[in-house]
This record gives sequence, structure tokens and C-alpha cells, in this order.
Amino acid sequence: MLKKPLLEIKNLFAKVGDKEIIKGLNLVINEGEVHAIMGPNGAGKSSLSYILSGKDGYEVTSGEILFKGKNLLELNTEERAREGMFLSLQYPTEIPGVVVSNFLKHSLNAVRKYKGEEELDTVAFMKLLRLKASELGISPEMLKRFVNVGFSGGEKKRFETLQMALLKPVFSILDEIDSGLDIDALKTVSEGVNALRREDNSFLVITNYQRLLSYIVPDVIHIFADGKIIKSGDKELAIELEKNGYASFLNEEKNEE
Amino acid sequence: MKNNSLIKDVELFLDDKPSVYALRSKARLVVEKVFFSKKDEAWKYTDVREIINKDFEIVADNDGCKNSCACGNECNECDDVFIKIKFCNGRIHIEDYNLPKGIKVVVLPEVLYEGEYKKYLYGTFNIEEHPFAALNGVYLEQGVVIEVEKGVKNLKPLVICYNSDDSENRMFNIHNMIILGKGSELEIVEDYKNSSESCYLMNVVNEFFLDNDSVCRHYKVQKESFNAYHTVLNGVKVYENANYKQFYLAKGSKLSRNETLINLEKVNANAEVYSMYIGKSGCLTDITTNINHKVKNTSSTQYAKAVLEENSKACFQGKVRIEKDAIRSVGNQLHKALYLGDGAELNCKPELEIYADDVKCSHGASSGEIDGEQLFYLTSRGIGIDDAKKMLIDAHLEEILQFIENEQIKERFFL
Repeated sequence: MLKKPLLEIKNLFAKVGDKEIIKGLNLVINEGEVHAIMGPNGAGKSSLSYILSGKDGYEVTSGEILFKGKNLLELNTEERAREGMFLSLQYPTEIPGVVVSNFLKHSLNAVRKYKGEEELDTVAFMKLLRLKASELGISPEMLKRFVNVGFSGGEKKRFETLQMALLKPVFSILDEIDSGLDIDALKTVSEGVNALRREDNSFLVITNYQRLLSYIVPDVIHIFADGKIIKSGDKELAIELEKNGYASFLNEEKNEE
Repeated sequence: MKNNSLIKDVELFLDDKPSVYALRSKARLVVEKVFFSKKDEAWKYTDVREIINKDFEIVADNDGCKNSCACGNECNECDDVFIKIKFCNGRIHIEDYNLPKGIKVVVLPEVLYEGEYKKYLYGTFNIEEHPFAALNGVYLEQGVVIEVEKGVKNLKPLVICYNSDDSENRMFNIHNMIILGKGSELEIVEDYKNSSESCYLMNVVNEFFLDNDSVCRHYKVQKESFNAYHTVLNGVKVYENANYKQFYLAKGSKLSRNETLINLEKVNANAEVYSMYIGKSGCLTDITTNINHKVKNTSSTQYAKAVLEENSKACFQGKVRIEKDAIRSVGNQLHKALYLGDGAELNCKPELEIYADDVKCSHGASSGEIDGEQLFYLTSRGIGIDDAKKMLIDAHLEEILQFIENEQIKERFFL
């Protein structure tokens, strides 16, 4: 069966302020695929996730991004989210004064409305929320707290996973979802993510460590350095990387130049 | 005569009663000689000349508003939950209040006629220091006295609704007195609303007396016309172990001044004043609070949260005075502002006058804009930018809202 591309990035250049951060990136992610991006700190991995979700201050200077065949760059952040893009942040933002359940209700109903589905009233929403929360081992008490305020590292990542479970995005970017997690929390979050894998949705997993990839197993691994992908391969690549570090790949590239 | 546009020859109820006439004459003398000017330190940031230059019509009618008035029953939704008192276009709406035992409501004309409550009238402030209260006194006639008997608690909250649907170019002067007996408790909501675009002056004086061990929660929701003027003086006396709490939401009014003067008269008296306000473009919001700690072990808190839209103006003056004998007193004051646009002006003037040793006092102010990271987080979850901003504005105010324990009252504070 021919695979349908979900996200197509073509020869992308982008900058933050005056600093060029993406320098000729090409990447195609098909429906149902899990891709992992690994690379040294400061390579622009997180910047890529912000560019994909349309954050202010990240400017595409040339190239093209197609999402479900549409020009992604014409959509603002909320429209991208409603189209089914989700960014799980490395450091989820704390929002004092905004209660978790209220935030999630606004979010889910905004997405449902966009899709032409009926918005949920409070009773129906809370029922759904409690169900999804219990599946991820999130206590009802946490739903009454302010968004991410006072959450432990594990709670923050579980909360990001809960949002994915509710919004059912077709494309999720997981930016270092393993950071700040102990082994047990990593397992729970990975299981939560794996439960959301379907034939028609895709993931882009950004990580520094091979460890995460033994829980969330990718179809393709890319090594990202200096604003572009320098090597792609299967999961063997991650193991090689863990053994030899990034330096060997970076040198290899220099020699080719 | 300088302020002659303010003083009109109107016939008021009981002008023929010497004691009442004397009160009005005294007030008139104050208004005639007072300068409504920015030179007055208490009015430095709030220029009221445009109010003075308006030629407002005086509302006076001792009969009160009849049941047949057109004001409707806008508070119907709260009939079962609240005791309701209405002022329609500045006049009290006479009706049977169906009061529970232990609470008394008497309209001001009757109080003046009977000569009751004399020791309370002007018992919380000096009229010569408060020009708008003096103006109110020139037309002293409309208002209500609420008295809660000793030990009476668990009453339904009492709501005073100020409806003003026929208000163009009018001045409303209302004087209320709220008297709490020893150990009593009362929740009182003042609901000012006017969704029209009328220009009028709502000029109100409230006097609160909290006898020993009493508790008063005073909620004020002000959502008025953006062309209106609103000047209010709350005079408060708090006695031993008594607790006065004010929650104030200001939204609307071209110029509003909510002034609260609190005297902590006896030991362990406590007062808390919480304010939330939305400064609209071209509008001025003035929150002025004076708290006098007169004896030892008294405490006060002032906490205000502001949302300032483009080209809005605001003034927050908070004075804490700790007198010589008021040792071991605590006075805290904090103001936090959220700026939504350019050109907003905020004058924050904390004043601490401390004459006693061994006291704890603090004041602070902070300001900021909507946090870009928070906005991104919300929009990246599909929430529209305007909704997201509104959520963050509400979140800014939530810190104060969470102190309101009564959920039905809290709902009235939602924007």
C-alpha cells in the first residue's frame, strides 16, 4: 500500500531574530509513522518544533511545509492545533489562575467546533475527562489545580499526554518528553503515547537519548545537526549513536564536505 | 460661589424639619467653599473638574419609586437566595422586604423623619474632608439603613441593586448605613449596573459600623455605562475582634472613585480590602483606601489587581496610618497590574504613616504584560487568541476571586 505523506518539509530555512537556525531541512513523515530526531544540544531541534507550531518570533525565510497537503505556513498557531498538530513541550508552561479542567474544556471544544462536531457541555466533558485521566493514572485532584503549577516533572509530562488523548491530534511532536522523568514515569508516559498510536496518526519524537526510543520505537531516526538532517536510518542508528556519540557523525559530515 | 452648578434649588423631603435642614445646610457650606481640584493631595491623580462642570439634574422624591415603575425586576434570578433592596434611578423602590428575624431595613426618609440612628449618621468620617460626600449631604434624602441584631448569623446575603435605566444627565445621591450588632454576621452585595451609554453621576455614601465580634463581607460589583461618573465613599468603623472585608470589581464608568476610610477602633479589629478592576480606554479608575490603626493588635490588608487596556488611567492610593498606641499591628498593601496595550497610565501611591514601634507593614507593586509563553501554550492547544487572552486576564484576577467563598456571589464577579 502506498503511504500518504502527512507532513512534508521542503528545503526549509528559518531564523530567530537575526540568527539562522534551520538551514535547508528536508523531511517527509507519512501517516502512521513515528520519526525520531536526535542531535546535540543547540542544533535547533526545539526551534523546529516551534516553527511547526507557528510560535511568534520564528520566521521561515524560504522553503515550504505541507501538512495534510495544505500550506502550513498560512495557518496561525490555533489553526494548526485545530487541524491536528500537537506540540508536547519540553518544559510545559505554568499558568497560575487557569484551572486544568477549564483549560482542557476550552481547548477540546475549540477543536471540536473547528471540525464541525458538537461542543461538549460541562457534564459530558467532565465525564470524558475523568475517564481519560484515570487511564493515565491522573488523580481527579490534579484536574482542579492550575495548569502545570506545582506539577512534578512526571505530572507535567503525563498532563501533556492527557491533552493528546483528549484532542486526538494526527501529528504530535514530542519535544524531549523523557526529560525530567525517572524510569517509572518514563514507562507510564511512553505507554500513554503508544496507546495513542494509530494507522493514521504520526509522531515526531525529539530526544537526546536512545533510552526513550526503546519505549517509543521509531520507524525512522534522523540525526540533526546545525539546522538540518545529516543522516537518517533505522533504530540501529540510535544504538550506534549511543555508542560513539554525535562527534563521529559530525566529523563524517565534515569529511564529505 | 464656585460650585454653583452643583447646588440646585430643589425641594427635598423634611426641609421643614430643622435637624434635617441643618445637616443639609452644613453640607452645602462645605460644597460652596471646597476646591474640587487636583491641588488637593487626595485628588492629585483624579481630575473631577469635568464632573463639576456638568449641569446634572437632581433626583429627589421622598415617595420613593413605586411598584409600578419601569425598572422591572432585573434581580429576579436571585429572589430566593438573596434579600433584595432596589434603587431605581436614585430612588428607593418601596416594597415589603419579607425579612428574616433579626434584620431590620428602614428607608432613609423614615429614619430622618423619626430622628432615629442619629449617632450613626456621619459617624464614620468628617464631611469637610470629603467633597463628594458633602455634595451627597446637600441632597440627603435617599438611602437605606440596615441593622443586624446582636448575635444574628447565617442570614441570606443582602443585595442592593442600583438600576439606572433612565439616567441621562442626572445625579443620584444615596446614603446608606449598615449596622452590625455584637457577634452578628452579614454578607452585603452592592450591584451597580447600567448597560446604556448615559452620562450621569452615581454619588453614594455608605457607613458601616461593626460592633464587637461581628463580621461583614461587603461585595461591590460595578458594571456601569462608560460615560458615567461614579464617586463612592465607604466609611467603616470596626470594633473589637470584628472583621470587615470588601471585594470590589470595577468595570465601566468614565471616571470612578471608590474611596474607603476604615477606622480600626478596638483591639483585634481587622479589615481587608480586595479590588479588581478593568481600566477601559479613555476611562479613569481611582481606588483610594485609608486605614487607621488606632489601637494595638489591629490588622489590615489591601490587595488590588488591575487590568489596564490601551490609554486607560488608574490611580491606587493606599494609606496605612498606625497610631502611637497601635503596637503589634500589621498593615499590608499590594498592587499588581497587567498592561494590555500602550498608553496606559497608572499612579500607585502607597503611604505608610507609622507612629508606633513593633509593627509589621509592607507595600508592593508589580506590573507586566500578557505572558507570550502562556499565550502560546493556550493557542497551541487550539484555543483562539482572543479567548486565550481573556483566560489569562481572568487568571490575573482569579487570585483575588478565590478569596470569595460564597459561590453564588462569586458568579456576580465574573466579567
